[in-house]
Amino acid sequence: MDKRKISFENLLLFSVLIIAICGLIYELVAGALASYLMGDSVKQFSFVIGVYLFSMGIGSYLAKFIHSNLISKFVEIEIIVGLVGGLSSTVLFWLYNTSQIFEAALYLFVFVIGCLVGMEIPLLLNILKDKVKFKDLVSNVFTFDYIGALFASILFPLVLIPQLGIVKTPILFGIINVSIGILLIYYLKEELKNSLALKIRAFFSLFLLLFLYAFSNQILSLSEEKLYNESIVFSLNSSYQRLVVTRNHNETKFYLNNNLQFSSRDEYRYHEALVHPVLSKAKRIDNILILGGGDGLALREILKYQQVQHITLVDLDPEVTRFFRSNETMKKLNQNSLNNEKVEVVNSDAFIWVKNCVEKYDAVIIDFPDPSNYSLGKLYSLQFYQYLQKITHEKSVIGVQSTSPFFAPKTFWCINKTLEQVFPFSVPYHAYIPAFGEWGFTVAGMRPIPQKNYQIVAGNKFYDYNLTRLSYFSQDMKAQSLEINRLDNQILVRYFDEEWSQF
Amino acid sequence: MKSGRNFSRKEFLKTLALSSLILPVFQYCSRKSKTILLKITSTNHILGHRIWAKNFPGSSETIQTKILIIGSGVTALSAARSLRLMGINDITLVEMEQNLGGNSSSGENQWSKFPLGAHYLPFPNKDNSELIAFLEEQKIVLGYDEKKRPILDEEQITFPPHDRLHHKNSWEEQLYPIKNLDNQSSEEFERFFYLMNQYKQKRDELGAFWFDIPIEKSSQHHDALILEEIAFSAWLTKHNFHSEALMWYLNYCCKDDYGLGVDYVSAWAGIHYFAGRKGDFAPHYNASEFTWPEGNARLIDLLGKFVQNKVLHGHLAFDVKLKPEHVEVLVFDSVTDSTKTICAQKVLFCTPQYVNQYLFKGRKASNFKYAPWFIATLVIDKNFAGCDNFAWDNAIYMSDGLGYIYNQHQNINQVTNHKVISFYYSFNEENLKNARKKLFKLKDDDMKEMVLKDLRKAHYFIEDYIVEMQFHKLGHGMIAPVPKHIFGEKTAALKEPIDQKIYFAHSDLSGISIFEESFHQGISVVKKLDL
Repeated sequence: MDKRKISFENLLLFSVLIIAICGLIYELVAGALASYLMGDSVKQFSFVIGVYLFSMGIGSYLAKFIHSNLISKFVEIEIIVGLVGGLSSTVLFWLYNTSQIFEAALYLFVFVIGCLVGMEIPLLLNILKDKVKFKDLVSNVFTFDYIGALFASILFPLVLIPQLGIVKTPILFGIINVSIGILLIYYLKEELKNSLALKIRAFFSLFLLLFLYAFSNQILSLSEEKLYNESIVFSLNSSYQRLVVTRNHNETKFYLNNNLQFSSRDEYRYHEALVHPVLSKAKRIDNILILGGGDGLALREILKYQQVQHITLVDLDPEVTRFFRSNETMKKLNQNSLNNEKVEVVNSDAFIWVKNCVEKYDAVIIDFPDPSNYSLGKLYSLQFYQYLQKITHEKSVIGVQSTSPFFAPKTFWCINKTLEQVFPFSVPYHAYIPAFGEWGFTVAGMRPIPQKNYQIVAGNKFYDYNLTRLSYFSQDMKAQSLEINRLDNQILVRYFDEEWSQF
Repeated sequence: MKSGRNFSRKEFLKTLALSSLILPVFQYCSRKSKTILLKITSTNHILGHRIWAKNFPGSSETIQTKILIIGSGVTALSAARSLRLMGINDITLVEMEQNLGGNSSSGENQWSKFPLGAHYLPFPNKDNSELIAFLEEQKIVLGYDEKKRPILDEEQITFPPHDRLHHKNSWEEQLYPIKNLDNQSSEEFERFFYLMNQYKQKRDELGAFWFDIPIEKSSQHHDALILEEIAFSAWLTKHNFHSEALMWYLNYCCKDDYGLGVDYVSAWAGIHYFAGRKGDFAPHYNASEFTWPEGNARLIDLLGKFVQNKVLHGHLAFDVKLKPEHVEVLVFDSVTDSTKTICAQKVLFCTPQYVNQYLFKGRKASNFKYAPWFIATLVIDKNFAGCDNFAWDNAIYMSDGLGYIYNQHQNINQVTNHKVISFYYSFNEENLKNARKKLFKLKDDDMKEMVLKDLRKAHYFIEDYIVEMQFHKLGHGMIAPVPKHIFGEKTAALKEPIDQKIYFAHSDLSGISIFEESFHQGISVVKKLDL
């Protein structure tokens, strides 16, 4: 009898240790997730810790209203904490990509977990108060509680996040949490009433968490995280490519087929440099065409010009435009440009679309992927520019992203030369984009690109309407004696391959 | 794909390496459930062979026409075009198949069109004005620049990578092996190409090229013609060519154009393959061929505009009666199962001689050799990693088949779905009758194995990615220019018209089955009509 008493007490103390570890892990996960996804880690951690401690207080207060079946309630809470905590990061990730209530949901999770954990210590004290001397009881319970906290806070950054990642860690601790609950059910079956219902709930929670643990990689494709070394917050395979969004320290990056498309930190440089030289040098800008650019970021820049009446955006992949149209983070980034009433989004192959198009555009902005294969190389061919000429007029201005003149000077100048065969007046220029390095563009038209700017907008962070300043090329960004990129030679792809293979 | 420096090439390669480790797992998983859809089509040989027995019903209808053309291959359509350009519209064509085109037919699935026969047209020689006029008329040649060089429609020429050869476990960027060759082979290749270049330039005292297209224009000089009397292999031995690599390559070339290899075709024909085309029309282009996803069926389509509503499909001509004023041709309509009499002032038989021999007594064509062929159209899953590097023409060293062409290589859009390739196989054998029987006995699984045996050499995993395979059997492929065929007396006799009313034109009468020859035959027979 005596023996069992000790083991009963020890068991409950052991569960205190586990609760403490698990509770703190959930809290740390919430804090880390908040700083990953929303940035400003000091603020996020402070808020999460504050809310967590506060809700533990609420939990402790609520515990006094529990009078009967203390042990059974204790076990039940243990199981609920495990389930809620275990599910937290998976649910939060999902919410981040699908709805606007991420922040509210995050704090709700922190609050609920805090409350439940807060209830456990008073409950435990209540359970044990008649069996152990009060002095020993209080010091033992709190000792284990704080030891658990130490464990958790050391394990979390050193072992758990590097090994398991932010999604699997809470699931694992949820499983541990629920397992302790199950252990208690079996050890304390004499003290428990209606243990069958508890068992069912416990095992259901356990299997749910185990399932989630086993398939979390597939569900959230976390195996890629190692590849990117960043937290993946969204990924999707469209019928054309793989879309991945990562988030780290307040920076969102968007990848297509593992190639970086933009970083939220400096994309404004790229898109200002791509758009404003074109729109400011075109006399009329009523009707604009964007080829590529399904992220809506170039669109955002274009929409700054009040004169623009209509914009047609042609992007191959409907999944890309759908994503940038509906994802809350992305909508913030592109200022909801894809849903603007002036914008018409067409999901179609640009080459075929341009070939069949009969409308005329005042300005065309071309933001295609780099010519890294023969399929893409066609989009930079003489034939393509000839088709493009048919949908522009004498005064139209064309802007083309033309790869890096530093990393790939031959590629850059080959695009320029090919473009000039059709649009004889061009101004090549370049800008520094930290995520890409030195990046190049070309504006071109049937008439000389004017010195003056026909229209400007205020509020640019990078482009100051001084194109001359960007159009000086140093020796290391020049290339000579290049061929024209035609469909039958596709020389551009060869240049590109040759040049990028050096990096 | 703004390949920013954050994601370097090295990391990209690492990713590739990583995914290549994962891939086999998926491949293993998909292997079990994989069933390839196999389908066989062929020319209408059942109807065609009824010409042997001639058990047709009596004639129940008479049709009048000024000019009757039997067949609807390139020669027939070219003749029809010539007539239409002369303003003669009262013409009728009789075709056994439901489609036009003969050896230039095509098919289509949900992913792409594909050829079921000839699949490209090399740039014509500069002085082939008949063909160039056609290409201008059809806006394939768009015009001429200030240096008088032709401007071609870039969407109708081959794109890079043009062709490649799988040799010693790697792909080389041309159809003959260069890398990892022994010294003797390298020397022989160099000497062979040098000799061929000499032949390309060679003219007789009258200024005619020894080797020209159309063949009719080639020199009749004795020194040239004696090359027609020996097999290509004998000529090669005589000139001390023995390298295995060179022999493989030349066999490949001869089989590709003639159906039979160096042991069977004449030296003249073998050399003509390399020396007939001068490459002087549009050397400023990187490409040297026109091509289309559906192959030469595109040209058939263009020519077909001249015969709209003038073709009797599913009709087989089985008897010819020469009357004083006209010619009567009996044709069997396989759709209504009835026989019609067509009365025409003049009849052009644009049919191969293996057909004509059953229509005219004493017109044996036993020395005319046509190798049987089959073409396999494969739909390859988009996830097949090898897809990204398909060239237009892909050959596999030491394989039995003729490699494959990638039908979507010219698509200007981003091809992101399944890929369609056409694999060619010709039976290079002494006894072609047996080979023909063998071909028609082949089951789909047999042919699948024949295709995979070749493809596995270059693409080990390809089987797991084949979505669909369709085989098209051709009992009689193109004519093989065996010795004494092209300039022989027997061939010359078969070209002769009968009583100024019945004329014969087909590429098998010129001896080389290429579009240029067929096209020329059509024009030249119309000139002979003396209208």
